[in-house]
Amino acid sequence: MQFGPIFRALMHNKTRFLLITLEVAFTLAIVVNCINVTLDFRRQYTEPSGMDEDNLVIVSTQPFGPDFKEEEFVDALEREDLEHLRVFPGVVDAVSISAIPMSGGGSATGRKPLDSELEGVTVPHYTVSQHVVDALGIEIIAGRNFEPGDFELERDENGDIPHRNVLVTQTMADALFPDGDALGSLIQNDEGQLTETIVGIVSDMQNSWPSFLEGKNRVLFFPGQPANSRRMTYVVRAEAGAMDSVFTGIESRMIETNANRIVTVETHAEFRQETFEAQLAMVKMLGSVSLLLLVITSLGIVGLTAFSVTQRVRQIGTRRALGATKGDIIRYFLVENWIITGIGLLIGLGLTIGLNILLVNVGGAPKIEWPLMVAGMALLWVTGVIAAFVPALRATSVAPEIATRSV
Amino acid sequence: MLAYQLKIAFKSLKRNPVLSSVLIGGIALGIAVSTAFVTVYYMMASDPIPDKSDRLFAVQLDSWGADNPYDDERPEEAPMQITYQDMVGIMQSDIPTHQSGMYRSSLTVLPDAESDRPFRATTRLCFSDFFEMFDVPFAYGGPWDSRADAGPEPVVVLSRDVNDRLFGGEDSVGRTVHIEDRDFKVVGVLDEWRPMVKYYDITNFEFGESEEIFVPFNFNRSLELYSSGNTMGWKFYPGNEYEDFLQSESVFIQMWVQLDSREQRQDYVSFLNAYTEGQKELGRFERPTNNKVRPVMKWLEVNEVVPEEAKLMLIIAVLFLMVCSINLIGVLLGKFLARAPEVGVRRALGASRRSVFMQHIIECELIGVLGGAVGIVLSIVALKLINGLFSEGTFRFALDLNMVGAGVLLSLVAGLIAGLYPAWRICRVAPASHLKLQ
Repeated sequence: MQFGPIFRALMHNKTRFLLITLEVAFTLAIVVNCINVTLDFRRQYTEPSGMDEDNLVIVSTQPFGPDFKEEEFVDALEREDLEHLRVFPGVVDAVSISAIPMSGGGSATGRKPLDSELEGVTVPHYTVSQHVVDALGIEIIAGRNFEPGDFELERDENGDIPHRNVLVTQTMADALFPDGDALGSLIQNDEGQLTETIVGIVSDMQNSWPSFLEGKNRVLFFPGQPANSRRMTYVVRAEAGAMDSVFTGIESRMIETNANRIVTVETHAEFRQETFEAQLAMVKMLGSVSLLLLVITSLGIVGLTAFSVTQRVRQIGTRRALGATKGDIIRYFLVENWIITGIGLLIGLGLTIGLNILLVNVGGAPKIEWPLMVAGMALLWVTGVIAAFVPALRATSVAPEIATRSV
Repeated sequence: MLAYQLKIAFKSLKRNPVLSSVLIGGIALGIAVSTAFVTVYYMMASDPIPDKSDRLFAVQLDSWGADNPYDDERPEEAPMQITYQDMVGIMQSDIPTHQSGMYRSSLTVLPDAESDRPFRATTRLCFSDFFEMFDVPFAYGGPWDSRADAGPEPVVVLSRDVNDRLFGGEDSVGRTVHIEDRDFKVVGVLDEWRPMVKYYDITNFEFGESEEIFVPFNFNRSLELYSSGNTMGWKFYPGNEYEDFLQSESVFIQMWVQLDSREQRQDYVSFLNAYTEGQKELGRFERPTNNKVRPVMKWLEVNEVVPEEAKLMLIIAVLFLMVCSINLIGVLLGKFLARAPEVGVRRALGASRRSVFMQHIIECELIGVLGGAVGIVLSIVALKLINGLFSEGTFRFALDLNMVGAGVLLSLVAGLIAGLYPAWRICRVAPASHLKLQ
């Protein structure tokens, strides 16, 4: 098959040529950019949390009633709740915690190595009861777990706790001590009223803010009693396969112990879904738009190729009469289509990069990687071939004798 | 003439229903997607209180530390919220027409009905001016009296949803609601109030629903209520008691004022500057004086409330419509040129180029309008689907008249742009050549 004649024939019908080229180019630009953004969002919400997330149940309780004004009462109830939760059939362990990881809610503060002149590192932190490591399903990498003694806290005259033993994640340890000597080291708040000793380093897990990109695996655990008069939150880890029975049974167990509270039981997956709601929505919206666009573009290619077949019925007839096979005719239209989409894809390459630059600047999109670009071009090329095939097939049914008719 | 041309256009569309539905469907999809996406952007970016957004001001005081800007990347920015002590200080001013410090928290409501369990209601603590300042609509009753602020007296304003839940939607003004450990008297019930952007508090869930109940600010002390939004601090404060928190440098209060004239605004800025100068003498406000009084739209702009995703969708929407138009040009060209012999005959019989051109443009516009109509219906469906992607009540995107108008205009423009070239091509058909073929 010779490109020359096909190309010259194309040049006789520049408009059609131009239209398909443009359509392919813009479609490539939009589809590749949509997929690029979609993949980025997908990566965000499918990233592992580092916890045994599939088996975590979150029990949030919001107490009411005068009893809860008493600190001793709250502490006693917290202990009782934890005992009940830990012996509940199918439960591995449970912890009382001040906020729920990956929920978007929580606290952060600044910490730096003791007596350091540097600016503090932003540290998302959780106050937790005992058993946090087993309840979240993370691991001790270095040093030791919390011991009961770590929870015997001494308060100063203001009620503050001037010194505590703490656990940090690996990422947090590296952020504070880049040289790797975090274990056993002391850290302090900006002005030095509070100090802590790092007694253990745990495996990485995501904190409350997945959007805090460079620091999303920074976590610091304070030993303490996180429950207060306004809320008591527990993370419960179920045995594999026991999730459903744990999930359904806990609420009534909590109300049995104390009915003066609102109890909400959710799986951690539900929190993840809420946190990434916008990303999920964008994936669905942009995905549908890409799909629609591919359909529209292929319809357009079908239409324009069909039109060109109709216009060239006499030529096709002539070629057939001169000995061209049906295969030759199909090949002619397919090669023509390849040339057009090929040029469209080349122009589209430029447009895609241009649109990507725009979206990086105003839309916070990531840069497009080459493999994606190539995959996008292949996708459109295949779409183009399929779309051109239908009308090309019809062209083969043109009878040779049509060339001999004058009307 | 127009009626005649419309008639021919209709006939032409009916002659090839498959092709016509492809044409109309194509433009309809383009209009549907672009109208839906533009609506999302438009609703997020539009003025939430157009009647007085230029008279409502967010107040910012830069109370942060000397070497410690609130925002490291934009050190010229003051914190978005203010401390409790500063709220008390600046609310001494009698310059603003209305003013209120406020924050979001939550309170447990204990319904009387046996069938209903206690529930945590999102709560706004604010002053009586809040309601008039933000034009909050009431179904029953009204704001509490400003004297109730001082007490504070146990009065409450309920949202419509909470009133539906507690009182079956009846006029509950004067009745009692048990909240936490005391009885509150209902003074007002809100009508549906749902600004798209919760502009008065954008520190968290800026697109979320407004609060379920409203109580006088000064209950913060007796109920020891922390903010359920952002609380930010830069300075360690000793102690864990609520009073320690109130006296600290922690910011958690949104401060709004209504200033009706330029002079009022100038006076108020001078007042704020004098206030912070006074505080500097007490050793606070270590940074250069940097008080900001920003009107609603400026406030939303500076804090980049419209999410990047919405801008991204806007760009995609425009490009999508463009591809649909290019597609339309191609199909129209095919359709028209296939008719060349017929047009040749018409031309030979004396039809002018102009009338052939007009004839085809009108056909394109007809396709545009039909596609636009279908597209607007589809965009309503699309917006419903988009709302469904978020948990209930997060977004209520819907078309308004402006957007319907924009949709119609878009479809007319798309029809015209797509039709220009094909119509021009077909009106250039030479009468003779096609006659020969026939």
